[in-house]
Amino acid sequence: MPNGFELLQSLINGLGVGLVYGLIAIGFCVIYNASGIVNFAQGVFVMLGGMFAHTLLTRLGLPMLAAAVISIVLVAMVGVLVQVLVINPMWQRKAPLFAIILATLAVQLLIEQIVILTLGDQPRTYPEFTLGGPLKLGPIAIGYQLFWILGCGAVMVVALQLFFNRTRVGRALRACSQNREAAALLGIPVASMLMLSFALSAALGAAAGILITPTQYTAYSVDGPFGINGFIAAIIGGFGSAPAALVGGTLLGVVQAGAIVFFGAGYKNVVALTILLIVLLFFPNGLFGGWGKRV
Amino acid sequence: MTLRAIISTKLGAYGYFAIALAVAIALLFAWVFFKGGYLLTVLQLAMIYGVFCVGLNFFMGYTGQASFGQNAFAAIGGYGSAILTVQYGWEPILALVVSMAVAGVAAVVVGYPTLRLRGHYLAMATFALGLITYDVSVQWTDLTQGYMGYSGIPPLGIGPFTVEDDKLKLVCLAVILALGVWVSSRLRHSRFGRALRAISSTELGAAALGIRVSRYKLLAFIIAALYASAAGSLFAHTVGFISPEVFGLQMVVVTFTMLYVGGIGTVLGPAIGAVIASLLPEVVRSTGRFQDIAYAAVLILMLIFVPKGLSTLASIGRRRPIKAGAEG
Repeated sequence: MPNGFELLQSLINGLGVGLVYGLIAIGFCVIYNASGIVNFAQGVFVMLGGMFAHTLLTRLGLPMLAAAVISIVLVAMVGVLVQVLVINPMWQRKAPLFAIILATLAVQLLIEQIVILTLGDQPRTYPEFTLGGPLKLGPIAIGYQLFWILGCGAVMVVALQLFFNRTRVGRALRACSQNREAAALLGIPVASMLMLSFALSAALGAAAGILITPTQYTAYSVDGPFGINGFIAAIIGGFGSAPAALVGGTLLGVVQAGAIVFFGAGYKNVVALTILLIVLLFFPNGLFGGWGKRV
Repeated sequence: MTLRAIISTKLGAYGYFAIALAVAIALLFAWVFFKGGYLLTVLQLAMIYGVFCVGLNFFMGYTGQASFGQNAFAAIGGYGSAILTVQYGWEPILALVVSMAVAGVAAVVVGYPTLRLRGHYLAMATFALGLITYDVSVQWTDLTQGYMGYSGIPPLGIGPFTVEDDKLKLVCLAVILALGVWVSSRLRHSRFGRALRAISSTELGAAALGIRVSRYKLLAFIIAALYASAAGSLFAHTVGFISPEVFGLQMVVVTFTMLYVGGIGTVLGPAIGAVIASLLPEVVRSTGRFQDIAYAAVLILMLIFVPKGLSTLASIGRRRPIKAGAEG
């Protein structure tokens, strides 16, 4: 039986991972609300964020901030490419829902393999943004990266809320999510909005990947777990608002961290997926009842 | 009945095209059979995947539902066979049947709550089931031996007669696949199959016609699970070795590719797709990595441009309109 401090320590670690899940979940929601598509390749953006940042840092020797910004822009471009080359053609042909899901899964596999061929298959990591630490509170150690994740997460959620509520483009995106045809009749370029939602969602994923990599590692294969956990967080949050998704992610991260203490690290995904099944079956609209659409 | 009428009633939208394909595949078989070697193994695996796809076709093709977690049932079949024959020395046939029964029960337990979900939610829930099974097969080392997997699984056989020869194995697997396709064809044109296809076009309409939608969905799910489990067992007995990777996410993508290449919702499509999609990487093979890229790229292109698979080619120049794809 683990003692209280160990448990608390792993719960705090879980908080950081959970916030990152929350950011990924927001990425899911942005695309889903704009298009009704669940992009199963969301985890790819997280992986690419970490991999690009690492490559820019080590091979080109860029400073952290520049590497982060360039990676985010590059990944957003990948997101647009995925939308233009794969999603949009299927969308135009009115492909059935699960064909689109399958296509996004295939995109994930494709990008994974391309990353192996170009960047290699070895796991890698880079130092925390602020060196030194961890902060010691008695027997509990808190890495400085957690504060970066907290801070950046808060900034991004506030910025997103402002974007969706205060700007024309953000409102146009929300209009698309409510009724695409009506939005089109009002002169909103729905196709560009879809592209924008992929760019935004990819950028969010990349930011999450860049933030989390120093606390663990990144490799071509991390996209699967991140994508799935992000999706679970989105389901818990109810696919509605960004804060709900963030809370959902945090909950998931903390519960998973607790589960690692009790069942061992190997079963953390099993626990997360079991939570997913429970939420799907009993709270199909998310734990907060959100304004997620019924499917 | 004229020959043409017989062909079109027996084979649906396929007709002569399917016959031509079948002849081509038969010729390929003959060639591989006498040449032997590596391609024998490729075709053996194609037959096994074919069994899996014919089953998946019940749920995804006929009924129009999505399951991204059928690999879970293949894992049950594979591990069931491996454990029962290696640890407990059971007869392979008996192990196969018992594993199928276990998979069937698992499908009822899992499917009953899960199949209430629709669309993305069903896709994700089934996907989660597949991933849970994978993780458990890695972690529960007492039962599954983890990444090590099981080796030395005996070949298929009844009593003293075992199928050791590679050519004989291929023939046996082909017979089993043909049996599976025959069952699929019989069921497709039965009352049961028509009910499934009604559900695929519109659930509300099917319910209005007195079809118990949830019961039929569950039945289709169970049939798919039985086929998947049989495929898993066949894999174990044919290759003699299984590990968690065999039943991982790769299997989902590969089998979906086969289903889409061959033509989802048709009788022969899944089997033909399995053969074609198995040979495809042999054509582009240079390293293992490019094989995966080829799969993914072909799948994406098929999904975009020919979502109904090769059956689309068959219907070129016909007046019969292509039915709109099944809604998920």
